[in-house]
Amino acid sequence: MYRYDEHDTALVRERIEEFRDQVARRMDGRLTEDEFKPLRLMNGVYLQLHAYMLRVAIPYGALRSEQMRTLAMIARKYDRGYGHFTTRQNIQYNWPALTDIPEILEKLADVEMHAIQTSGNCIRNVTADPFAGAASDELEDSRPWAEIIRQWSTFHPEFTFLPRKFKIAVNGASDDRAAIRFHDIGLQIVEDETGQRGFEVWVGGGQGRTPRIARKIRDFLEPRDLLSYLTAILRVYNQHGRRDNLYKARIKILVDSLGIDAFRDEVEEEWGFIREGELSLPEAEISRIRSFFSSPRIEGQTPLPQTGPAAFRSWLDVNRRDHQTYGLSSVVISLKPIGGTPGDATADQMDIIAELTERFGFDEVRVTPEQNLVLPHVRNEDLFAVWEALSAHGLATANAGLSTDIVACPGLDYCNLANARSIPIAQAISETLDAQGLSETAGDVTIKISGCINACGHHHIAHIGVLGVDKRGEEFYQITLGGAMGTDAAVGEIVGKGLAGDDVPGAIARILHHYKALREDGEDFIDTLRRLGSDAFKEAIYAELAA
Amino acid sequence: MLNLQLDHQSRPDVDARIASGGGEILTVPASADWRELKDRVPQAVQIDVHFESFKDGRGFTLASQLRGRLGFDGRLRATGHVLPDQALHLKRVGFDEVSPDRTDVADDWSQAQTRFATVYQPAQRGGETVVAKRTRSKADLAALNARYRGMEAEEIFEDAIKRIWPGRIAMMSSFGAEAAVGLHMIAKVAPSTPVLFLDTGRLFAQTEQYQRELVEKLDLTNLRIIQPSALEVAEEDADGKLWSRNNDACCTLRKVRPLDRISEDYDAMITGRKRFHGGDRIELPVVERLDGRIRVNPLASWSHERIDAYFKRYDLPRHPLTEMGYASIGCWTCTAPAQDGDVRSGRWAGQSKSECGIHRPVPVAAE
Repeated sequence: MYRYDEHDTALVRERIEEFRDQVARRMDGRLTEDEFKPLRLMNGVYLQLHAYMLRVAIPYGALRSEQMRTLAMIARKYDRGYGHFTTRQNIQYNWPALTDIPEILEKLADVEMHAIQTSGNCIRNVTADPFAGAASDELEDSRPWAEIIRQWSTFHPEFTFLPRKFKIAVNGASDDRAAIRFHDIGLQIVEDETGQRGFEVWVGGGQGRTPRIARKIRDFLEPRDLLSYLTAILRVYNQHGRRDNLYKARIKILVDSLGIDAFRDEVEEEWGFIREGELSLPEAEISRIRSFFSSPRIEGQTPLPQTGPAAFRSWLDVNRRDHQTYGLSSVVISLKPIGGTPGDATADQMDIIAELTERFGFDEVRVTPEQNLVLPHVRNEDLFAVWEALSAHGLATANAGLSTDIVACPGLDYCNLANARSIPIAQAISETLDAQGLSETAGDVTIKISGCINACGHHHIAHIGVLGVDKRGEEFYQITLGGAMGTDAAVGEIVGKGLAGDDVPGAIARILHHYKALREDGEDFIDTLRRLGSDAFKEAIYAELAA
Repeated sequence: MLNLQLDHQSRPDVDARIASGGGEILTVPASADWRELKDRVPQAVQIDVHFESFKDGRGFTLASQLRGRLGFDGRLRATGHVLPDQALHLKRVGFDEVSPDRTDVADDWSQAQTRFATVYQPAQRGGETVVAKRTRSKADLAALNARYRGMEAEEIFEDAIKRIWPGRIAMMSSFGAEAAVGLHMIAKVAPSTPVLFLDTGRLFAQTEQYQRELVEKLDLTNLRIIQPSALEVAEEDADGKLWSRNNDACCTLRKVRPLDRISEDYDAMITGRKRFHGGDRIELPVVERLDGRIRVNPLASWSHERIDAYFKRYDLPRHPLTEMGYASIGCWTCTAPAQDGDVRSGRWAGQSKSECGIHRPVPVAAE
């Protein structure tokens, strides 16, 4: 894990003082509300439907136990005893008092955390594979690069007032668990014929109301050129991205309108000028940052446990992932209990997870884009103890990657942009699928729910997406099929007309029953869907509604 | 320092006027593309970039390009709707002056310029970057030793682990006769600090037992066992007797090289060495550089008596072999009980060798 040196520490403290001053200036009128808003957003402070919301950065989703304990303490002391982990690997508190926020920021700074650039039209928290440094399919750990980008993008003098928000993702594995094709810039670590490592660069992906799969702008970028190339892309975007229409301001629209080739020409022209300058990364700094992220070395090579209670065995089958070191495993801590709020964890649960992280997890825990947590490094001999402790606190639901592992945005229960509720729909779907045995029997399938077209619940990239819309004052839900976030990236297609909220759980259950009837040997839901097309499922969705 | 002008009532002309001392003063909107200004800039002595809204960040890139691409070195001013909160950004992209619409917050402007002492990324102007500072200030030994003069061992542990090398430091432990002292301090200060234990494959069973006992009792959460490469052992010590033929080569195979392989992971390592051990250790400093790597020896000045007292005070378990007269414990192949109160006399007894090599530049194993 990266650790702050005196420079990182100083910067975070300086930002707290600045924020305190900004609040004071807003109070006495030296800042107008219009001026204060982007400034507070850039420090993670939103005004939601009922209260302020504070979004805390968890860079590339990685936490140490003492950081998790601090998050628990904040939930307990300044909020209502829980926090909400987000699809961008951050955590949100829904009920803090504005006047407490500087103090919360102090507590965060004590454990090397902050809320910098978690919102606003700037470069946001960098996404990375939650299994980085552990995954068995990894070419290279993506975290050092995410940290290098985090530092470079923090208070960037040129790129803090961009046309719109800007999200970067890095992936170093062959599976893409960071959804790089749905980010403004996606970086894939690759190896060329000579064995040299570098980045394949994707640009202009995104979700929201205009979902786009990123376009490839470069096949191979040398590591030392990373920051100069990012700068070149951001310069072109900052100068030419649209500022007249909020909904057309993301880089994907600029890439659309110029075309990827013309966009690339602009970027390469700019890059040619700055490539050999100060932005070129010194080898010493790359290895300094990299050296923080070693994977644990272990004695002995204990094989996986072959015995134990049935509940433990099925948790192993579903929530455990292979580790690159034999004798270790990664485990998913599901924040999706049946009927629960996706991504929520209570302060007590966070404390237990911190305890397990310290005792059994080599002091590392991660947040996933699916709103779960991961202990990336657990010794096989400790798996049972970890499971026992998780079970005792409602954290051992064996559903990672299954149909009840549902992603949902906060929706109309919290958000002032939403058209419809998301969380209650997610809860109802989860209960229905579980009651019909579909969590265990429908295999790997992703279900994601957004309460409006801004798509924070990532419905576009779900195998089964649910989008809340407002039709003449009533909530309706559209079903999309066939989205995918990985190397097989696709945007889901809307199937038929919208459903009332009460009809959604049944419709999704029927889709999965239908899949079970149609699947061939070993076929996952998405494979059957691709083989037969979404029309094959349309009837299932509407069958009983017509009756 | 960004020069703040509050009396100037300039409006964007989007055009040029002649400066009193000759040359042109250009006024351009923040939305201008730098390429459109190529022909105008060479005659200009001053360029005013006008911001319609503080939210429109194009002016920042424009300034950067005027300085970087067009080499403009005249006076660059930001005018219009800009906020004190942008002062440092404006300065760093190359502005010399700012003439904001709002003139009643001059104090905020001057305060904002000194708020941040730290910058991560290079820019046209303003401040050494963090990366540059990091590459320049490699740990200064004299300063560190001065810092630790008069500090208690436990404070040194805490300072080194939490302030000087956070996340970049490990404790080396033999789990030998005196090891419990340093490990106990680690447990008090930061129990998740990596503890590196060199398992040479030739350790006494009692050492392995003691290691488990201590880790459990002290609740150390980050033990890392370092072992020799199985491949190298098979090639260089197939019969397991290398120690008897060439103990330097054996130490290199089983201790020096395994430690070397992970040394990149840390900027500094803490050891439990003490001056009273004698030999090369008589002049042991608290902080030293060995072959480019930092070693911290917080217990350097401790005496045998002080260690004893510490064991008693905290009721720490003793290594089982100490009862049999072993005062310094390495591999069973090369360790005997100590003689005449000389702590390390039982190590490679009867030979001139007194160190295995992990605490000094890698020795060339004699062939």
